[in-house]
Amino acid sequence: MHDDELLGTHRQELRRGTVVLACLLALREPGYGYRLLKTLESAGIPSDGNTVYPLLRRLEDRGLLTSEWNTDESRPRKFYRTTKAGKELATQLLADVTDLTKSLRSLNGRS
Amino acid sequence: MTWTERYLTAVLRSIPPSKRDDVERELRSSIEDGIEERVGAGEDRTAAERAVLEGLGDPARLAWGYTGRPTYLIGPELFPIYRRFLARVLIAAVPISAAVIGGLEWVGSGTLQWAIGAALSGALGVAIQTTFWMTAFFVFLDWAGPARQARTEILAAAGHWTLERLPKVSVGRISVGETAGEIVAVLITLGILVFSTTLSTTSPYGTHIAFLADGFRTVWLPILLVLVAIRGVDYLRAYTAGRWTPWLTVYHSLVHVAFALLLVILALSGWIVNPVFGEQIGLPALADGQGPVMQILALGTLLATGWEILRIIFRARRTGDRAPQLGTSTQSI
Repeated sequence: MHDDELLGTHRQELRRGTVVLACLLALREPGYGYRLLKTLESAGIPSDGNTVYPLLRRLEDRGLLTSEWNTDESRPRKFYRTTKAGKELATQLLADVTDLTKSLRSLNGRS
Repeated sequence: MTWTERYLTAVLRSIPPSKRDDVERELRSSIEDGIEERVGAGEDRTAAERAVLEGLGDPARLAWGYTGRPTYLIGPELFPIYRRFLARVLIAAVPISAAVIGGLEWVGSGTLQWAIGAALSGALGVAIQTTFWMTAFFVFLDWAGPARQARTEILAAAGHWTLERLPKVSVGRISVGETAGEIVAVLITLGILVFSTTLSTTSPYGTHIAFLADGFRTVWLPILLVLVAIRGVDYLRAYTAGRWTPWLTVYHSLVHVAFALLLVILALSGWIVNPVFGEQIGLPALADGQGPVMQILALGTLLATGWEILRIIFRARRTGDRAPQLGTSTQSI
């Protein structure tokens, strides 16, 4: 029980920073909130609505995403798309994550 | 009203009006999406709605996510400054206000018990008020948009942490001079107590009238002498150990408190001085527990005890666990 809790806390810490990157990458294809949750889940990065929905707005406020209401379907949906600035940031962050993984692997291999 | 409507109302309450419509529309459609999927998988609609909304969690938290407001009172950047600042203000404000309030009450009512009560409740009030307003100020600093500039300036003024800001640690042991001073004080106290037994006056009938009350001299005075002597031994033990260990500090404080309480109770009960002695020398109020002399004695005892206990606690902190090693093994730094 205690170990599960510990693992959960650390996992959450580790993932906190990657949700932004995952959203920016996933939304190079326009998508709306709920579909994004499903996309992330099937990609192996499960997140909560209460994290992702507010996050989308904050990323939009910073100009990393743009949004557009689509009222063609039965239910109006707000579609988000990663901007140029968002894509650049995502590329940089992805390179950082890759480097970090490589560094951790080499640390792990050394001992 | 459905659960969804109630949930949306709860979220939107804390969202700025300009964004409210947009957030509502989007959140509603996200909730509908979630419910639809669960219903599609064969779940009952009511149960699906409950599961989706409970999955979104506390609406206040969700709203805070939208507004980007912090979910803490004082953030990690400001917290150390807040703590230091509060501690300094409390250390200065509480004793001073206790002394002032107690002093005023004493002048006003002339009763020591009331003065002590007023000082204690006054100090508590000042501590609570100071803590509250200081905390409120720092919360404002961390939260309010208009305070952002002030916050930046305070953080800049606090500046980079450098080694010079390390708290001062006494590198030496307790000095001989300090211990000698303490021992002399103990000997003087013992001397005064013993000398007071020899004081007397002569009645018109030629009999000796002792300064001290009989009961005090035979029962209480020996106890007081022992307690003072124990204090002297404590000083020597602290000197031998090189520092005030936690146990010695607690023990020493308890002995001090016992001495003070005993003396204060005896003074306020008027059991110390022989009443006949007072009348004989023309000071009938001398022995009276409600008279000025005994009250000053009681108050002086309390103040001196408080001061001594604080002094020992600060001394214990300065010569704490790390100090002896610092003084001996890493002298070169």
